[in-house]
Amino acid sequence: MGTITVPIILEKLKEGYDQLEKFDVIVVGGGLAGLAAAYTLAQHDLEVLVLERGDYCGAKNLTGGRLYINPIRNLFPDLWQKAPLERPIVREGVMIMAAEGSLAINYTGADLASEPYQSYSVLRAKFDRWFAREVERQGAAIVTKTRVSDVIIQDGQVCGVRADGEELRADVVIACDGVLSLIAEKAGLRKPGNAKDYAVGVKEVIELEAGLIEERFGLEGNEGAACLFMGAVTKGIFGGGFLYTNQNSLSLGIVVGISDLIASESAVSIPALLEEFKQRPEIARLIKDGTSVEYGAHVIPEGGAAALTRLYGPGILVAGDAAGFAMNIGITVRGMEYAMASGYYAAQAVLKAREKNDYSVQALSSYEALLKESFVMKDFLNFKNAPLALSNPRLYSHYPELINDIMADLYSVPAGQKERLYPTIRKYLNWREMLAMAGDMRKVMKL
Amino acid sequence: MNIVVAMKQIPDLQQIRISNRRPVLQDVPLTFGGIDKSALEAAVVLKESLGEVKVWVLSAGSEELEDTVKEALAAGGDEAYLVIDQSLAGADSSIIAQVLAAGIKQLNDVDLILFGEGSGDNYSGQVGARVARLLELPLVSYARDIKIDGDTAQVVRVLEDCEEVLEVKLPAVITVLSDIGEPRIPSVTQILKAGKKPKQTAELDDLGISAGQSNPVITLSNLAPESNRKRIVVKNPVELVEKLKSENLIGG
Amino acid sequence: MAGNAGDGRRYEKGDETVTDTLGLKAKLGLNVFKPGEYRHINVKPGMEKDPRLKRAVLVCPAGLYSVTQDDKVELTIDGCLECGTCRIACGTDVLDWDYPPGGTGIQYRFG
Repeated sequence: MGTITVPIILEKLKEGYDQLEKFDVIVVGGGLAGLAAAYTLAQHDLEVLVLERGDYCGAKNLTGGRLYINPIRNLFPDLWQKAPLERPIVREGVMIMAAEGSLAINYTGADLASEPYQSYSVLRAKFDRWFAREVERQGAAIVTKTRVSDVIIQDGQVCGVRADGEELRADVVIACDGVLSLIAEKAGLRKPGNAKDYAVGVKEVIELEAGLIEERFGLEGNEGAACLFMGAVTKGIFGGGFLYTNQNSLSLGIVVGISDLIASESAVSIPALLEEFKQRPEIARLIKDGTSVEYGAHVIPEGGAAALTRLYGPGILVAGDAAGFAMNIGITVRGMEYAMASGYYAAQAVLKAREKNDYSVQALSSYEALLKESFVMKDFLNFKNAPLALSNPRLYSHYPELINDIMADLYSVPAGQKERLYPTIRKYLNWREMLAMAGDMRKVMKL
Repeated sequence: MNIVVAMKQIPDLQQIRISNRRPVLQDVPLTFGGIDKSALEAAVVLKESLGEVKVWVLSAGSEELEDTVKEALAAGGDEAYLVIDQSLAGADSSIIAQVLAAGIKQLNDVDLILFGEGSGDNYSGQVGARVARLLELPLVSYARDIKIDGDTAQVVRVLEDCEEVLEVKLPAVITVLSDIGEPRIPSVTQILKAGKKPKQTAELDDLGISAGQSNPVITLSNLAPESNRKRIVVKNPVELVEKLKSENLIGG
Repeated sequence: MAGNAGDGRRYEKGDETVTDTLGLKAKLGLNVFKPGEYRHINVKPGMEKDPRLKRAVLVCPAGLYSVTQDDKVELTIDGCLECGTCRIACGTDVLDWDYPPGGTGIQYRFG
């Protein structure tokens, strides 16, 4: 008879969960925030239950595709070595698209191209599933296929959740249930979101041979590239396109502000935008011979610091997208590292509250203090003007067309005499234009 | 009373996609076959009506089985007996039958052995019958209902044009249809408790079966037939009708 | 209104009419959906003609909302990506919105 290899969680179940009456912590949602919280708590031997509504962790999660490691490397020092990340991003690109042309800027440098790499492309179904395993190894229990429908509130204190008709109790609940956070809503920490604070992202994963990816993007081996697109890609609506190289696929998509989309006169639908984006010659040649294998969409919080929800209440903390921790500052769009970090700090706050066995609002307020000391809130306060600066519609139609017109003229060699370069540029930049530009610049300078 | 439910670990069929005409199995979550889950449900229902019943979950496969089996223990299995060997993942029905029969011999006083009538992936429908033969036990197949009275089982057996009601002396092997019971969805508490339920694991050596036994049947190709679509694009129904006519697919 | 998204949708691109190489329904067909027992999003009774609901026709990435001939907004739930856009765009006055039960709905294989 062979030996039974019992995962740690089973041993813990034998020891501790006999009554199954109460956990130390229940985490709602097994995405990055929830798993980061559970990972940290389990490392400190707390009894943690993660409830995930998907078939597996990652099944309901969608990202554009890039995780920046630097800010969170030391929060989870043992995690990165074996993590199923796709490709380290060694080439950054921005493409400004006009209706009939585009200007591309690529950046690559020693800082990007050497270890430790600052960012990686990721596919969440793979990454989160793997992360969930690591969390289980630390001793947390994860139950999938389970939707939490409500919180249990007793004497004003959240003390558990209802899931599939069952009541499950804990000292504290961490809501990591994503951008809509129905749980934080039920706990009275937030109201349904306002369209101006949210964008919607749509994305196709396009399978493409690794060799072709490397050839088309000028990459060596496992290196990866990222590119953001602005301008005609969204038909002048606030937003942009993105493209990330994965190991054997490309993540190609578009993000647009929901309120801008509603208000847009052009009345374009999102699927049509993505399809036109794919048919742009600049993109078509990159995805040629690729096979679409998945089409996904997700709402993204983009309201910045002003749109963050209440981060904690009696017996409850909110982390990740659920709290609004995602940020668009134009050249980078980030969410996943804020999710993981906020999950980590939520766990730290719980550990602190546990010392005094006090899970009141006051006791859990250390969560906000910890976030304020960390890159999370520092970034959010630093970039608090980003949503306003980026909401300028001229960024998405006027300037892309202008820049492309100038480029077209600068590079054209007519049959006759070619005009001098400076007058060519000045032709486009009259005083009125320059004045408007200076005004827009002032807003962008707040970034 | 001891009821053994034999369950096969298979990939979640809904998660499989086709690439270059072949199924992509990498990273596909594992589960048990749908009919096997119904067999387990039947066993649990018998346990609920009879009392004093122990439901064993028996399975053979790769080491992921230890994780997959939690699902069955959550849905009402009392104890698991798992034969674990990487070579068992894609093994032939005849080998699996030998392994399962050997496993059942390790368990004491087995009264009833339930199988799904076919597995969720290969659907050969052979393993139940082979095990009955190896253990020299009576076999009833295609069961829609099972009632136990003492050491006898009354079984409703569904055939194409009729139903038979049979009586069989226990111990016996019964293969069941999915109609026998809708598998229950375990609660969170049941899932957590499943982790505490006992599991025995055995390797092929423990059962006196040599590992790496080659399959007597070798699959040369199982590609889906290639279809040559003409990929004709039409702009409107009139054009569609024209095209169909010109291809002689509809009458003029 | 460009909301009638479906297989082989057409839209104007310059002078020519382009048909999607891969229609929206075909794209949704790439995904794994596990059927649920009920619709997790419903238009609140009496709100079918509410102007806020019309936004969903435009913003739903899966093209699941459409306007009927009598100007009501209809929702097909099959193919729902659970992205939340309609809840944000239309609000909870007009939509009863919940996630589908555990283990049902979209299951991303890539994400």
